Parts: sequence; structure tokens; C-alpha cells
Amino acid sequence: MADLSAARPIDAIPDGEPLISFRDVKKSFGDKHILKGISLDFPRGRTTVVIGPSGTGKSVCMKLIVGLLIPEEGDVWVAGTNVPDAPERDLMRIRKRIGMMFQDGALFDSMTVGDNIAFPLRRHTKLSPGEIADKVAESLEQVGLPGIEDRAPSALSGGMRKRVSLARAIITEPDIVMFDEPNSGLDPLTSDEIDGLISRMKEELGITFVVISHDIVGTFAVADKIAMLYNGRLVADGTPDEILRSDEPVLRRFLARNMDLPPLPGVSS
Amino acid sequence: MIVDGISKVGAYALFASDCVRSAVTHGVPWDRVMDESYKVGIRSFPVLFTMALFVGSNLAIQGYAAFSTLGAGNLVGMFVALAGVREVCPLLAATMVAAKAGTEMAAQLAVMRTKEQIDAIEVMAIDPRSELVAPSILAVMLTLPALTVFTIFVSLVASLAVAVLQLGVDTGEYLSFLVGYLTAYDLFAATLKSVFFGVIIATVSGYFGFFSERGARGVGQATNRAVVTMCIVIITLNFALTSILYG
Repeated sequence: MADLSAARPIDAIPDGEPLISFRDVKKSFGDKHILKGISLDFPRGRTTVVIGPSGTGKSVCMKLIVGLLIPEEGDVWVAGTNVPDAPERDLMRIRKRIGMMFQDGALFDSMTVGDNIAFPLRRHTKLSPGEIADKVAESLEQVGLPGIEDRAPSALSGGMRKRVSLARAIITEPDIVMFDEPNSGLDPLTSDEIDGLISRMKEELGITFVVISHDIVGTFAVADKIAMLYNGRLVADGTPDEILRSDEPVLRRFLARNMDLPPLPGVSS
Repeated sequence: MIVDGISKVGAYALFASDCVRSAVTHGVPWDRVMDESYKVGIRSFPVLFTMALFVGSNLAIQGYAAFSTLGAGNLVGMFVALAGVREVCPLLAATMVAAKAGTEMAAQLAVMRTKEQIDAIEVMAIDPRSELVAPSILAVMLTLPALTVFTIFVSLVASLAVAVLQLGVDTGEYLSFLVGYLTAYDLFAATLKSVFFGVIIATVSGYFGFFSERGARGVGQATNRAVVTMCIVIITLNFALTSILYG
């Protein structure tokens, strides 16, 4: 097994080797145990989708990666840095390499779409206003929404808000992009568009994607690797083919509801 | 309950010091300081003008009523100088800014917490304390003293108008008692008080908004707790400052 504690630049990690690793991670809120000892790898340059029913800790995993939450036990390694123990400077360095598309976009209501996307560049770079405007336009083009810089976030549909959030996430050219429930609250056609966008982004950018989802169709459309959380534990972890062949009862039940797979005999739906 | 109260005061003190540390470490976005100063200053003008107008008028009426029983109704200028400039106007400006700008800050932060916008700022490797709270602290510290001076000016003019036009006090006598008792130190003390009140307004509203629970209930609770706490702390702090400055 690779030495997770060897801090190294993300570029030095070969494709397919773990870029993010959870080791025996436990997280509780009060007396509610959300994660009960998760160990999971997210390979570099791949799209890993974490699936599972609501309330199983999928979003918690994402917040642990960026240090918004701290586990009670266990390690969360990102490129050789253990996030829970990282000093503020290292944590900021890691966060600068991560972009995140939030479930509802998390766009700032007081700013236009263009200002929202430009926000991290204005705070972290010394680019001129013209250069920033060019990058904003390019980023919007990438997510299929050219020319909406002057619109207010409140004037956007749910799908558009997610796309703008993605444009903001990728404008700093991060090494990791995380998607929190990219299909939630969207109609099937818009969901397909978002899945297509994620797949296209993966090909264009060639970076590491972490997707949190309970949408099975979307998961198989974008995933290189699928991990399933259930009741605070990792119950399945593998390629889409391995997941489809798995006879793990909970996973079969979860998939059967969405993909016309027969549940295993004796497993109630 | 006492332990809970002490731990909350400790959490607030830690938050306030974190805001200052973060502002020093990461710098303050001056565009946001300007935005917040506009919001606090310009938008508070109409309401403060109205309040100062009538509070100044009432001070003149009450002062005249109290002193005229002693046959010294012309001392109303002194009363306005002592009560209005030293106590009422700094408190009036602070409580109005707390009620208007402070609650808006708390509600805005609470909504940002609910809609994951504060999380988004953190994920972008930006400290939300230096981005969102520190500019408010600076903005209120800069604008509240100016608003306090404005409140003093309007209330003095209003009390003069009521004293002369309604109560029949001689203009020269009013002004001579006003100028005789009102010193530069009083204006300095009022301004100094407002700087402290400004820090309280920005940090208390920031604390309750920043750590609010998610959802509509959380936003309501944060706003309510912020305004109640701000008013209590401002009144208490005013007593302490008056004791130090005039005791």
C-alpha cells in the first residue's frame, strides 16, 4: 500500500493511484453515528461516485475532505496531507486545489453570475479585470451558459445554478472537483444534461472528480469507481461492472429500484 | 445555565478575536468595507434623522418642564448638552444601527449559512471571518461615530427649535447654557463610546449569524438573539463607559 503520509505535489501522483484516502474515519453528531469507520480511496484522474440513501454520510465525506468537518477518529489524506491535523496554511493550500459544486449552487445572492464566478480569482490572483472577465466568459462557455454574466442568481433555474456553481468551481483550474448531489431536484432531461456535462468535463480537464449522489442512472453515466455507504459503513466499492455484479443485498436493493435489477431472494424492497 | 452562559461568552470572545486575527493575517477586502459602510451609514440616515428630531424635541420639553418648576426654564440648553450629547444621542445612534444594520448583518449571515454560501467561501480557501465579518466591524466602527455626531447635531437643532418656538426660551440664553456646558471632551466621549458600540454591534450580529442553525427557524433565532444581546450589551457597556469617562 502507498505511503499516504508522504506529502507530494498532486502532479507527482500517478493516474489511478489514491489522491484522497479515508482511513477508519468515524464521525458523529451528538449521539448519532454517521460514519462508523470508513476506509476508501479516491484515485487520481478518475471519477469516484459515492452513493447511498439520504442521511448515510455522503455529504459528510465531502466536508471531511475539505476540512469543513473534523472526524472523531481516523485520517483523511489528500495528496499526503492529513486534513484533520493540517495547520491552517496547509488546509488553505489543499482547498485552493479543490473546486466544489454545491447542491443548490451556493451562489452569492448579492452578486451577479459573473461576479460569483470571478470571486475566487479576485481573492487569490492578481489578474486584471479584463483577464478575469475573459476567464469568466470561458468558464461559462465550458458549462454551456455563455453570455449570462450580468444575470442575478435568483433569475436562474435549478440546473443553471448548478452549472454556474460548476463554472465557479473550475475557474481556478483545480486538481479535484467535487459535486454534491448534481442531479437532485432536477427533471430527467436536465439531469441528463448535467451528467453529460460532468462526463465532458472529465474528458476535457482530465482531473479527479468526487461525486456524491443517490441518482443511480447518473452514477453509472459518469463513474469510474462507485462506493456505497449504508448505515455508516462502506458496503460496496468497485468499478461500475463490479458493482453491477455485486451480490451485496443492500446494494442490490438500492440498484433494483432504479435499474430493473431483480433483488436477491429473501431481500425485502 | 451559568456554565452555558460563560461558555457562550467565551465562544463569542474567541470568534471576535478570530475575526481580528483573520483580518490581520488574510487582509480585509476593502470593496466589502465600502459596501458595508454604505449600507450602515447612508441607509441609516433617514431613520436616525427622524428619531434624533423627535428625541431632541422631547429633551427640550422635558428639560424645560423640570427646570421651569425651579424657575430656571432657560437652563434647558444645559440639560440637552448633558443628557442629550453625553448619553441619549450615542445610545440612540447605536441602538438604531443595531436594530437596522445589525439585524440585517445577522440575518444575512444566517441565510448564507443556510444556503451553504459560507461553506462555499471556506472551500475557496477564503476565511469567511475576514471576508464577511471583519469588513462589517470596520464599517460600523467607521460610520457609527459619524452617525452619532449627526444625531447630536439634529437633536440639538430640534431642541433649540422647540425651546425657542414652542416654549419661548430665549435663543441667546439657550445657546449660552449649551455652549457653557458642552465641551470638546463631551463630543470626544460620545464618539469614543460609539466606536465601542460599533465593535459590539458588528461582532455580536456576526457571531449569531455566523453560528446560526440552518433553516428559517435558525435565521429567525439568530436575528432575534442578536438584537436582544446587542441592546443589553450596549446599555451595560454605556454604564461602564460613562463611569470611566465621567466617574
